[in-house]
This record gives sequence, C-alpha cells and structure tokens, in this order.
Amino acid sequence: MSYTTITPTEAQPVGHYKMATRMEGGRLLYIAGQVARDAAGEVLGKGDIRAQARQVFQNVRNVLQAAGGDLGDLLKITTYITNLDDFPAVAEIRSSFFPGPLPASTLIVVSRLAQPDLLIEVEGMAAIG
Amino acid sequence: MDRRDILAENPVEKRRGYMPGVSVEPDRILFTAGMTGRQPDGTIVAGGMAAQTQRTMERLQAILQYADANFSQVIKQLLYITDMEAHATHGRAVRAAFFGEARPTSTALGVRRLADPAMLVEIELVVDLLGDPTGRPLLEKYNVENHGLDFYQGVIVNGGRLIYLAGQVANMPDGAVAGVGDWKRQAEQVYANIGHVLRAAGASPAQAVKETTWVCDLASWRQHGTAVRRAFYQEDYPASTLVEIPGLARPEFLVEIEVIAAIPR
Repeated sequence: MSYTTITPTEAQPVGHYKMATRMEGGRLLYIAGQVARDAAGEVLGKGDIRAQARQVFQNVRNVLQAAGGDLGDLLKITTYITNLDDFPAVAEIRSSFFPGPLPASTLIVVSRLAQPDLLIEVEGMAAIG
Repeated sequence: MDRRDILAENPVEKRRGYMPGVSVEPDRILFTAGMTGRQPDGTIVAGGMAAQTQRTMERLQAILQYADANFSQVIKQLLYITDMEAHATHGRAVRAAFFGEARPTSTALGVRRLADPAMLVEIELVVDLLGDPTGRPLLEKYNVENHGLDFYQGVIVNGGRLIYLAGQVANMPDGAVAGVGDWKRQAEQVYANIGHVLRAAGASPAQAVKETTWVCDLASWRQHGTAVRRAFYQEDYPASTLVEIPGLARPEFLVEIEVIAAIPR
C-alpha cells in the first residue's frame, strides 16, 4: 500500500470505513465521477438503484485497474445519491465490492446529477504504488 | 509533471468532455477554492449562466496563472450547479473554450443553493504544477483578489504527503449524533472530530489545504457555524467551498465537512 490508514482514538469511524488516509508514495490518481453508463454511454438501470450502484462501482474499479491499481488503493471516495432512501441499498452493494473497510468516505444527497436518470455518482482518489 | 490519462475500456468515455482518470506524481499540487461569478464589489455578474461561467473561469485562470499553470494541467474539476439544464445549454461551451483539448476528470453536481442565492455555478480545480518542490515551503496559500472572505483562493502543496479525511459529521465517540437539531453543537463536534483526525495524521489545522462544507441550510450555518470555523482555523484558512444540499447520510446530520491536508514528506 502507498498509504497509511489514520485511526484516531478520540474520533472513531461510525461504520466500516477509514477515518482518514495519508498518502506515503506512488502516483496520485483522480477518478472522475462515475455513473451508471454502459460501454455505449447509455444509462443503465433507469429507476433501479441497485443496478446503477453495481455499474458505478464496477466502473470505478475499471478506472483503477486501467491505472494499474484496484479498489484497495483508494484513498477516499465520495458517494453522491439523489435520494437518501436509496442509501441502504447503495451501502450494501458498495460493501460487496470492498473486501475490508471502505476508504475514507463521504456520502452526500444532491438535488440531481448530470442527467435526470442518474441516481448515484461516485468519485475518488487513489495512491497507485 | 508526469501526467497519465487513464481511459478504461468499459465504459467508453471518448466522446465525453472529460477523462475517467488522471494520475500524476504528487510533487506540486494546487487546490483552488470554489470560484463563482462574484465580482470585486461582492455582487454576482449579470447575464445568467453564461456570464457567470465566464467570470468563474476567468477567476480560476488568474489563480492558475499565479501558480504558472494553465488549464491543461487541471487533473480534476468539480462543478456545483443550481440549474443543470441551464449549464448544459449556456455554461458548458464557455467552460470548454477555456479547457480547449485538455481533459480533466470531472464531477458535476446539482445542489440546492450556493453561498449567494444569485450564484448559479461554482467550480473548483485540482492542478498538477510544474517545478521541483525542493526548497519551497510545504504550503503556499494565496489570493489573487482582495475578497476579504475567510478562505484562500489557491493553496499549493509542495512535496507534501496528502491526507484525505472522510467527511466529518457530528458523531460522538459512542456513535451517537451530537446536537440533534442544534447547529452550533454540531459545528463544534465536527471541528473537534476534524482536529482529532488531523492530529492523528500528524497535521495541524493550518495544514488543511482544501475544505468542502456541505450544509442542509446555509442561513443556519452562517449564524451558528462560522464562528466555530473561525476559532478552529485562527485565520490560517484552507481553500474552501460551501454548498447547500438536500441531505446527508442520516437525517440528523446538519453539516458534513471534508478536508484535505498535507504534512512534509
């Protein structure tokens, strides 16, 4: 790993994520906000948060792998959703992609994403060793 | 500068105006504050989305120029937009003219409100800078305008180790939410948590380089949160962005703040 996980004793994560990560080496990778588009650029899973979440995290993984890394190299992710009620399903699918704790993580409910059909977008940074 | 554009095989991103991933050697990185169509007198430029996007991009250009950089060195742009259709119709082309052939990674978010109700768009950048960090101070915080507000417009990290904090909310050590319905108490808890995390990572509040504050109500944040923030940073602010959004991970959370910091290598 090209980073250290920071675990403060006074402020523990409430959930299965890292409170902070400190980059110690490697290349810094910024990943564009990933949405549920397929190879042709079409939105997948209209109205289906689970299908969209699966596609989004697969896309995040694809970018990481194209950069020579994988999900374990993520320093931080931000998950944007348009409906808080979707969060439990998103959290479940997200966890299935990560073998251990999530990276440092932020969850934000936004008014909308780039297209009205998009229900979730995830961006992140990674240290590629 | 040793930039690599990352194109994943799937999905195909070629026809879009951004790059799925960009990796760099993190020698010198610039974080800008979120910029808007604000003018020197504090008012927002007239003329709607196109004019605001133009003004925003010109201000970002000035921040880049101060650091001897240009738009081709941008690795990330984050757009906060109150009207996505208006931006697609009137803002995107203005922005594209500044970027030319350059393709940063990008995220565009529809938010409820920006710092001033007249603001339609806010843009922040992360930029890969040229030059050797050796002999430079860890952080160069600067303004290119006399804006008089509590943030720096650009913060350069020279050869630092970057620290990415999870978004901090008003969680207490036992997992309970502090100050349900109480903005001041939540602000205090959030900044206490940020302080703990920074210390554990070997950093001080002055070493925060970028801050994003997500609030469910801007007026309440201004009334109760700003003083807590001032006391935390003691004038040594990061580049920052403040936006109002409809919600956070739990309905009890009123504010979430994420911070990027740096310590020497």
